[in-house]
Amino acid sequence: MAICGCSPDQYSVEREYWKIKKQSESILRNPAATPPNELERAVTQLQSFAQKNSKNVLAVDAEFAVARLYAAKDEFEKARKQLKGLMAKYNKSDVISSEALFLIGNTYQIQGKWESALQEYKKIIADYPLTTRGLETPIYIAQYYKVKFQPDKMVEALGEAIGHYRALAEKYPGSPLAFKAYTMISSCYSATKDWENTVSALNIITEQFKGKVSLEAVFLDMIAIYKKELKDNAKAQETLDRLIKEYPNSKFISSAKALLKK
Amino acid sequence: MAKKKSISIINTYLATFQSLKTQPKLVIPFACFAFVELIFLLLIYVAPRQPFNIVLAPPIRAFWGERFLHYPVNFLLLPKLASHSRNFLSCIIGSLLTGFAVAMVADTYNSKTVHLFSALKNAFRKYLSLFTVVLIINLLFLGLVKVMEMGLIRYFTSGHATLLFLKPVIWLGPILIALNLLLVVLVQGVFVYAIPLLMIENLKLFKAIGRSALLFVKLFLPTLALVGLPVLIYIPIIILQFNAPFLIDRLFPESVLYVCIAAVVINSLVIDLLVTLSTTILFLQNKK
Repeated sequence: MAICGCSPDQYSVEREYWKIKKQSESILRNPAATPPNELERAVTQLQSFAQKNSKNVLAVDAEFAVARLYAAKDEFEKARKQLKGLMAKYNKSDVISSEALFLIGNTYQIQGKWESALQEYKKIIADYPLTTRGLETPIYIAQYYKVKFQPDKMVEALGEAIGHYRALAEKYPGSPLAFKAYTMISSCYSATKDWENTVSALNIITEQFKGKVSLEAVFLDMIAIYKKELKDNAKAQETLDRLIKEYPNSKFISSAKALLKK
Repeated sequence: MAKKKSISIINTYLATFQSLKTQPKLVIPFACFAFVELIFLLLIYVAPRQPFNIVLAPPIRAFWGERFLHYPVNFLLLPKLASHSRNFLSCIIGSLLTGFAVAMVADTYNSKTVHLFSALKNAFRKYLSLFTVVLIINLLFLGLVKVMEMGLIRYFTSGHATLLFLKPVIWLGPILIALNLLLVVLVQGVFVYAIPLLMIENLKLFKAIGRSALLFVKLFLPTLALVGLPVLIYIPIIILQFNAPFLIDRLFPESVLYVCIAAVVINSLVIDLLVTLSTTILFLQNKK
């Protein structure tokens, strides 16, 4: 134990960060009840941690935490300033920049400024299309319209999302990104209950990625859609036969058979 | 008959505590085991830290993943690793120390002078048999637990929503824990007299195991009581370890370590001690 304490290792940095973050989480749980000095104390702790461990990956997380704290206390300008500072500091990292942009969009969204938020979200899609945020943001926009009971705009957003994902899949055929893109396309179609196209997108996955990744879950999804939504037992059985042929030891076979029996 | 059996359990416990009072040296094997177990627990705890992670991190990374080498997620794995290390240590060292303890109990019960060195030497001579008995107990218990768990998982993943009107979260949670405890008591009960038979009656290994099973049947209720009652003390520890995420979130992560330390103390210095001593004394009482 004494040997461990001699010099700070990654574990001790993580421990220190966890304690600081725990304190800031109490602010996030109940921001209205938190006095201003409590916020400043938490921000100071996070910033000094980030400064002390600037080369550590947790420093980035600490800086994001500062922005989230400001946003939780409705200090949106400070939050956006913090996030823009992050983007400038880590401009070489698409992941960090896309995440920061997304949070900037969130701050506008919380303020009720949807158009400004949408601008930020579209920047992510255009500038950082290959990041996780870049892939998820088109669906996030559609979900916003769904929550706001704006079905026309939701359908329009999903249509744009499908076009965007298709372009990505065609630009990077056969890649993990294309796999993810086709999966997102099927999610978009299922959100509009366009089951024919959903199954069509899943079928493309089974054709293009055969032998590259495990497709058992994809087959199961197709069987469920044929059975429950399209009421096409013949196609469902055909897909089950494909699953059994290609993955004879699959643990999904019993679930699929149970599904067909219902 | 029932009154005779309950008196014999009480008498056995009285004789156990009397033996401990007259010969406090009986605690030595269990204290040694607890000490070694604590060392291993400490090593597991410091596994993510430099310089220990050079040797200890790769197996954790290989079997459980990188996330368990980071704070505070490492505490989620701590009880499981502590349990595995206990199983390992019980075979390697625990078997020898149990034999050592049984030899000392026999001397105490027969009012002979307890010679630590000769009792340990006696246990060393039988080490291979002692090791095999404990290995069989551990493998049998782990095998049965795995079969039970896999059976339940298979049942629920094949489309069944409930079993006896109970949901999977109940079956794979508290019911599985209760079934595990029952298995501990039954498996241990079957083999509990094997070591006294090896050490005191100098039987060969498989004859000792066979006779132990017969004795378990003959002394079914007393054995169940002597093995099962101390195990009940462990239930709060099981509940706490099962709720490690809650402890990490609501208290502090190191509380899981303290629970594991308490588990070592309770297991080795209370449960193992009571079970070994009381069943050996019951064996000797029955022999008379």
